[in-house]
Amino acid sequence: MKVGFFVGCNTAFNRPDLEQAVRYAFPALGIELDNLEGQSCCPSWGTMPSVDVVGWCVVGARNHTIAEEKGLDIVTVCGSCYGSLAESKYKMDTHPEIKEQVNNILKDFGREYKGTSNVRLTFYYLYHELGPDKIKEAIKYKLDGLKVALQPGCHTLWPSKVYYDKEEDPFHPRVLKEMCEALGATVGHYTRLIDCCGMGAMRSTDMEKSLKLVERKLLSMKSEVNPDLIVTGCSSCLIQLDTAQEFLRNSKKINFEIPVLHYMQVLALCLGADPEKVTGLAKTNVKPIIERIVG
Amino acid sequence: MTNEQAVADIINLSEGDSSLANEIRELGGEELLECIQCAKCAAACPLALAGFSFFNKRVIQAVLMGLRDALLDDSSIWACQSCNRCTEICPREVNPFEIIQAMRRVAIREFALPTLSIEGLKSLYDTGHAVYLAGAGNTRNKVGLPEKPPSTVANPEALKELQAILRKTALAELGIIPMEEPGV
Repeated sequence: MKVGFFVGCNTAFNRPDLEQAVRYAFPALGIELDNLEGQSCCPSWGTMPSVDVVGWCVVGARNHTIAEEKGLDIVTVCGSCYGSLAESKYKMDTHPEIKEQVNNILKDFGREYKGTSNVRLTFYYLYHELGPDKIKEAIKYKLDGLKVALQPGCHTLWPSKVYYDKEEDPFHPRVLKEMCEALGATVGHYTRLIDCCGMGAMRSTDMEKSLKLVERKLLSMKSEVNPDLIVTGCSSCLIQLDTAQEFLRNSKKINFEIPVLHYMQVLALCLGADPEKVTGLAKTNVKPIIERIVG
Repeated sequence: MTNEQAVADIINLSEGDSSLANEIRELGGEELLECIQCAKCAAACPLALAGFSFFNKRVIQAVLMGLRDALLDDSSIWACQSCNRCTEICPREVNPFEIIQAMRRVAIREFALPTLSIEGLKSLYDTGHAVYLAGAGNTRNKVGLPEKPPSTVANPEALKELQAILRKTALAELGIIPMEEPGV
């Protein structure tokens, strides 16, 4: 099995430990990663998607064609990359006139968007291609009752029509829960499970309002689950939940810290990865969690 | 409240800009007129939850009323998370997210875009990444990765190709960022 790894911006430059976790976990599970050499930004929402539909799709299409030429699907850990790439694909696949304009630009570069590669998020890809049971068999270390609160992430769920891997009900997601349970975690439900974390455009536009959303989410998690660990499905959620807690403690909005990791980091740890390489850039203190997992 | 204040608070619909709705429909918000203002989208919107003045339903309402300046003077549309809860939940398939994006496209055509967006576009053109941290090489080395990811930053030819593609998009016509061909 082989798949193209779309690394994106925030993972490559802010949290390369998460990139390293993907590069460890996939091969450890027998899946080869292709680098999709020459890939660019997805492009993210505040750039080309805010300028022009065809401009958005053509930058997306250039990335799609890199995977198409190799006959590979694309996997990513970033919700924004996942959303932007899946939406540009959906637009081109459902609007022939957009696809035509895009291919008119691409033909000068020897490229043609065909729509043959699917865009997948890492944990959905593993869920559908391997399944929780195979992951359970492959891991060296178990979470053994570690209490976990989940942050699936907006772009992992909506709009469901553009995604290849779907939840039965995107407002009541269960895939990330099953994938964490396969590692031996106890997953608790909390009221604000599907609330937005406030990262992204909101955080760049108004930090105070963005922090208000993450505060509500953290308080809901703390009071209803009291988790040992927060597990995210999205790299942007990882950055927000991992970095916002210190701001919120300094302004006396919260008086606790909950360690935060992306699902792929937890999986890599369970598969035996070097903790420094796959979690070394976390701002929250993840050491006690690593000790509990790896011993 | 005096009468004068009361009058000032009333929106004069005849002063609305009716061209705005057409512009939105041309720039990606095709389903605008399907909206019945039921507000299901608002109930699901992080912008509404966080207290921004204009969220999906209100953006659509303001567009239909032609309140161009009110939308351009407010930062709300730029805080949209693109989360697409609204797209999922809309019973009329209006695709409210796309209408907010279309409003951003209108704003950009009037050069009413935030500095961060200009920086993101410039970074996309110069490096191939909207978010690029020049010092990230050390962080990457620290976790055992090569200094550069296998993207346009490690492949100059790929970056040149991306730049040439971007020069064929609307971005080049708008003149928001410098996009000269290298060596010209």
